Amino acid sequence: MIDKFELSVISAESKVFEGEVESVLVPGMIGDFLVLSNHAPCISSVRPGFLEFSEGSSGKQRYFVSGGIIEVNNNTVSLLVDSAIMGDKVVKEDISTLISEIDEKLAIPNSTNKDDLGLRKNDLEEALKQV
Amino acid sequence: MPSLKDLKIRIDSVKSTRKITKAMQMVAAAKLRKAQESAERGRPYAEKMRAIVSNLASGVKNVSGENMFLGDGRDSEKFLLIVATAERGLCGGFNSSIVKLAKSRIVELTSQNKEIKILTIGKKGREQLNREFESLFVGHVDLSNEKTITIETARKISTDLISRFEKGEYQVAEIFYNKFASVISQIPSSYKLLPVSFNEEDAKADNISFNFEPDEDEILTEIIPKSIATSIYSVLQENAASEQGSRMAAMDNATRNAGEMIDKLTIDFNRSRQAAITNELIEIISGAEAL
Repeated sequence: MIDKFELSVISAESKVFEGEVESVLVPGMIGDFLVLSNHAPCISSVRPGFLEFSEGSSGKQRYFVSGGIIEVNNNTVSLLVDSAIMGDKVVKEDISTLISEIDEKLAIPNSTNKDDLGLRKNDLEEALKQV
Repeated sequence: MPSLKDLKIRIDSVKSTRKITKAMQMVAAAKLRKAQESAERGRPYAEKMRAIVSNLASGVKNVSGENMFLGDGRDSEKFLLIVATAERGLCGGFNSSIVKLAKSRIVELTSQNKEIKILTIGKKGREQLNREFESLFVGHVDLSNEKTITIETARKISTDLISRFEKGEYQVAEIFYNKFASVISQIPSSYKLLPVSFNEEDAKADNISFNFEPDEDEILTEIIPKSIATSIYSVLQENAASEQGSRMAAMDNATRNAGEMIDKLTIDFNRSRQAAITNELIEIISGAEAL
């Protein structure tokens, strides 16, 4: 029996998921990482990608998140996401729209954070392959 | 003394006005419920965001000194005032109370010789400020095409604010809006968006040493635009709820006033009809007596 902990996935407009889970696989900014119960407190930013968590017997759930931030503290994991789509509902178009939005931003001359946008685009293209 | 026909016309016109105000009141009530629900749904995100920023900010202060987005903005010279009002009128004192608060702040800052810029959200506030402060305007956000406030709108405003901040156009940004206290009471308030000040008590209360990944400074640079977008989002949502609440109260008053006016006009109408009948009777009786 694996110990469970609280996970809440919150977007600015609503709560996406709230409940007890056994493990969460997070697409962290500098690499994926797995959170189990009694994880040390940490705050990390999240890149666009797939979030996976398992609620135990009921199996795994997958969400596509388009970036955000995660806080792990005292067996409570809060993930603030820009937007999240249920894994089986993700269609390639969703991700393509995000990519084209970035392309638009990149097209603007002298925009300040081109490097960040470029990295984000790579992440999205990676996610697109996984669909 | 207006004729019976005139009175009848006036009563009918007030009655149809009452129908309109009654309908507007009910529409506002429905919209208010929706606005409140959506504000409710956004709250957990906003609260968590504030907590994380506090934690981060206190971490950054300990490690790498000052981040440009943090501070209390005490000795600043350039101010950006963001006046968030409604796109529509007929909502009581909603718009003018915000404008009044903003104006008093402008006067206060002018007396301290500070540089002021104004950014307006919503048409009504712009119209009211236009007369006196047109030269201070630097931008306007039009919400007339948005049925409900979305986080996208807030993000756009936040991106604009941050690029202006980075260019050094201003040092302190304050937003003026109506805080939603209850359906019948909205409090005009101001909130400092930038620089981000954090509650040290909040951060200390937890007193947990977090692992940051990547480091505090980088996360902070990433999260601050989001946190500002979130603040703007919740401010705009409170404003939307306040607007509907204010409109509901105003329309309720208008409906009641219309009712009173109809009562008064009906009494006048009945009285003049009775007077006309009495007059006719007197004429008949005195005619009969003369025979």
